[in-house]
Amino acid sequence: MSDVAVYRKRRGVEAVLLLFSIATAMAGYLLTGLDIDAELPAEWPWALGIFTGLALAAHIVVRIRIPYADPVILPLIMLLNGLGLAVIHRLDLGGSERLHSAERQLGWMVGAVVVFCLVVIFLRNYEALHRYPYLLFLFGLTLLMLPLVPGLSRENHGSKIWIAIGTFTFQPAEVAKIVLCIAFAAYLVDKREVLASAGPKLLGIEMPRARDLGPIAIMWLASMAIMVFQKDLGTSLLFFSMVVVMLYIATERPIWPILGTLLFAGGATAAYFNFSHVQVRVSSWLNPFSDYDQNYQIITGQFGIAWGGAIGTGWGLGRPNLTPLAKTDFIAAALAEELGLAGLVALMLVYAIIVARGLRAALGSQDPFGKLLAAGLSFTFAIQVFTILGGVTRLLPLTGLTTPFMSQGGSSLVANWSMMALLLIITHHARRPQQLRSETPIIDFTSDTTMVLQRQGA
Amino acid sequence: MPDLVTLGLKLGFLALLWLAVLFTAGAIRTDVFGRKISTNDLAKAEAASRKQMKDAKRLAKKLKLTHGPQAGTSLSLGSPIVIGRADDCQLILEDDYVSTHHARLARNNNYDVVEDLGSTNGTFVNNQRISVPTQVGPGDSIRIGQSVMVLEK
Repeated sequence: MSDVAVYRKRRGVEAVLLLFSIATAMAGYLLTGLDIDAELPAEWPWALGIFTGLALAAHIVVRIRIPYADPVILPLIMLLNGLGLAVIHRLDLGGSERLHSAERQLGWMVGAVVVFCLVVIFLRNYEALHRYPYLLFLFGLTLLMLPLVPGLSRENHGSKIWIAIGTFTFQPAEVAKIVLCIAFAAYLVDKREVLASAGPKLLGIEMPRARDLGPIAIMWLASMAIMVFQKDLGTSLLFFSMVVVMLYIATERPIWPILGTLLFAGGATAAYFNFSHVQVRVSSWLNPFSDYDQNYQIITGQFGIAWGGAIGTGWGLGRPNLTPLAKTDFIAAALAEELGLAGLVALMLVYAIIVARGLRAALGSQDPFGKLLAAGLSFTFAIQVFTILGGVTRLLPLTGLTTPFMSQGGSSLVANWSMMALLLIITHHARRPQQLRSETPIIDFTSDTTMVLQRQGA
Repeated sequence: MPDLVTLGLKLGFLALLWLAVLFTAGAIRTDVFGRKISTNDLAKAEAASRKQMKDAKRLAKKLKLTHGPQAGTSLSLGSPIVIGRADDCQLILEDDYVSTHHARLARNNNYDVVEDLGSTNGTFVNNQRISVPTQVGPGDSIRIGQSVMVLEK
């Protein structure tokens, strides 16, 4: 008799962690009120009620529909979303007049959690997504290129990654990243053996065959178009690296990341020498203090982070409102100013744990589609966090990507919640005890000892 | 508020935030290798859930050919079906690997049972060659020669 390892459901752990998330987010909100007005905000029982209700709803749906799902992902995204709400509320109070964008954002969060629940309820078997790789690919690429349509796009601090329909604005890249991830996972599961087959040798490295370069070439062109026309390095980097990493995971051949890095570096260098706006981006990254007016946002953000120091000024006691767009692009800088390095590092750890759990699900998943999808989604998430936090802390040129779950904005919130629903569904399938016998028959005539011969003249 | 209280609240908040992170890390640490249980218990749980499923929907309504020259054909179950190459079979398979009277699928005491009629190349249920009459239900597959058929509800 031997032992096997099975995962427990661990929904109780999830519930306890959710309590921590609610407590932390509420503490931030209440401390803001105490520090600015010296009293608790009048509507705090409402905020607590709605936030707890959302956590409870998501928890119950997960408990019933996907009981083996990873126990830490849901509490961590509740924590991020709650901290984001608290920071937005704090920025509402910081201006000359009081705004109510935190309430609107809470409304969006209700919508996002509803979408999350619907995805978990209706998409328990994610195999259905496997069927239409080309359609999804076209849809994703169209979404990605939408901001280039004249009349739709809205320029936001130099980059054109937003579209506006009436008063409703929306960042299509947020949805496109999920759609393209699904499309590439489905495509690569079917084509990975072809893509891994050997081509001509160059410098001792086996190159892929020319005809297999199609997908990487299309995505390279798309990401270069984003860099040049939408003027956003982060989005460009996000989508290109997503494809390269998924190719690498599917084929296990190191040539793909090498080729990808060379292509991207080459394209980025060419763009730098040919387009002045790329040069402006790079100079405001390397020498922001050379032009105070142009780089006002990044400079005030830097001062904010520096002023925060190791443990921050405390909720409501810094001046994060000085930074333009503090609620969207620079929300991490606002948090770093008031919670200090200790808070920012905790935030980064939370993001890192989510990514690690996603990659763990990819490792544990039994079916190749789920494996690739989980790896692709978590890697894309990691790249997005890396580019925006890197941009805010001046490790990378600044980009207009949102900080997942924290930035103000509905489309991003809904997209990220549904992405996490997808990831949780995959973790449920990966952690569920495997059945001893496969449910579908394995058909393999090639292993038979007899041969099928065609009759003469038949 | 006094500065000291503000400082205390600030540190308290950071402590709470880090406690949440550390608690999460603890939850992951106990989760790394799963829980060891013996295969006996696993098999028991498996059998229990399988029995429940079987009782709920043990009777198939249709037999559908999924692979082979006649893939796509389906016929309803109920009366006994003899499968083979001969003209008096209910399911005739035009296949050199199928015997004249190859196998029989019949309902017996509220179970569908498949029985090999002494064929040359054998009858396979879920890819295992059968030597005695074998009970089958929805989802099980039967392979005869080059044809694979699946029982459906």
